[in-house]
Amino acid sequence: MSHSAHRCGTVKNLQNDYTIYARTSRFVNRQGCGPKLRKILEILLAEKPVNFGSSHSGKSFAAGLDPKEYAESLDKAYAIACCFSDRSAVRNVLEKLKEADTGISIVVSGLIDEVRNVAWELDLKPHSALLSLGIHGRKELLPEEKILEVTTMCGHGLVATHLVEDVMDKVKAGDLTPEKGAKFLAQPCPCGIFNLHRCIEILKDSSITDSENEENKS
Amino acid sequence: MRIDPEKCTECDQCVDFCPVTCIFEGDGTYFIDEDECVECGVCLLDSDCPTDAIYMPEDSKRYPRSIRAAFSDPAVQYPEELFPDLKQGGRGTEEMKTNDVTGKFGRGEYGMTLELGRPGIGTRLKEVEKVTSKLSSLGVHIEDDNALYFLLEDPEKGTLKKELLEEKVLSVIVEFKIDKTQLEDVVIDLSAILETVDTVVSWGLVTRFEDDGSLPVTERLEKLGIQVRPNAKINLGMGRPLVEE
Repeated sequence: MSHSAHRCGTVKNLQNDYTIYARTSRFVNRQGCGPKLRKILEILLAEKPVNFGSSHSGKSFAAGLDPKEYAESLDKAYAIACCFSDRSAVRNVLEKLKEADTGISIVVSGLIDEVRNVAWELDLKPHSALLSLGIHGRKELLPEEKILEVTTMCGHGLVATHLVEDVMDKVKAGDLTPEKGAKFLAQPCPCGIFNLHRCIEILKDSSITDSENEENKS
Repeated sequence: MRIDPEKCTECDQCVDFCPVTCIFEGDGTYFIDEDECVECGVCLLDSDCPTDAIYMPEDSKRYPRSIRAAFSDPAVQYPEELFPDLKQGGRGTEEMKTNDVTGKFGRGEYGMTLELGRPGIGTRLKEVEKVTSKLSSLGVHIEDDNALYFLLEDPEKGTLKKELLEEKVLSVIVEFKIDKTQLEDVVIDLSAILETVDTVVSWGLVTRFEDDGSLPVTERLEKLGIQVRPNAKINLGMGRPLVEE
């Protein structure tokens, strides 16, 4: 599904938010894909992803998924999802995936210009895109943008608005560190595309008081 | 989902976990508004209820209510008796994720994904029917590899099975393809219908990159008042054998 296509955010705070998705096709290359997915996982893990998993695993790395157990389960899987917070790691992953030539489709979500430039640097030719045309309908039902930046990091919509608000309040009050807050918020998302590093930055930003914001502006 | 009033200690720990905000304080217990609950399972799996008071009642596993979990909890598989020929997991299809090896979306066409209920609001299926019936009236074929197709009573008319219309789920993805020449007409019609649904809709468009890496569709969309977000999902063409035109 299009679970990483509609991440809300600004160009600035999406700069360090990439998801990489290795996906087999049941029409073409799914049968016996386990060893190839394991190879891809090895490449991804070597670049220290922020988080990883897939819906078949039931939980993400941030929620305690063991990499070894996950690797063993890949014979029953058809995809791996993973996220990174820096461009150089994504470039390294793609370079190694190109070399490994597994034949499994690789999808990267991120800023279009950034992803395209990384691809070109490696002589890869971007094939297709799923563009986000935004949110339509009753937008007045939505929470504020800062909350959406966190909740939309779980594409299945399992991270609740009130949970984010509660964590933001606790971080602001000094009752919770941004790091612990981000880990807590990542728990309901089983696919491993909830970017904890980006969440930490959003929580830090939201904990700045209004007066501090005014000072920063001036 | 349901809360056992005999076990609930009113600690309120589960309340904030609900993605559709349907857990409330009652008389001596918290309770779940079961009409609003989408059976996503987050309260059960993640809120760490100290007395295990939250559970999924048998009623929730019976049709038509069983549809809720299937379209809300990614760990739940579509029941085979309801989706006999569906070979696809998840709320959507492979769409562009494997387009480099399937060639599903060619250069002369666009794919569309309309995810009703996303982000985080949920949708009644009667809202989905507003969209599917409009698309059918435009002669658009709704993707038959998507779980939604199995909820249709009449695919020609885009109507859903009547017993499902009041069911509420976290989200449903309507997928279809159009010819490139239809873009303006379809976007204008869809924009109008999306303003009438009682939920939110995340709208996506699948396109091939041009050989120079450009995406000319963005200019056409901007002329129609549709702003394309700066981030997207990009298939890098590393699948093999590569389908090319």
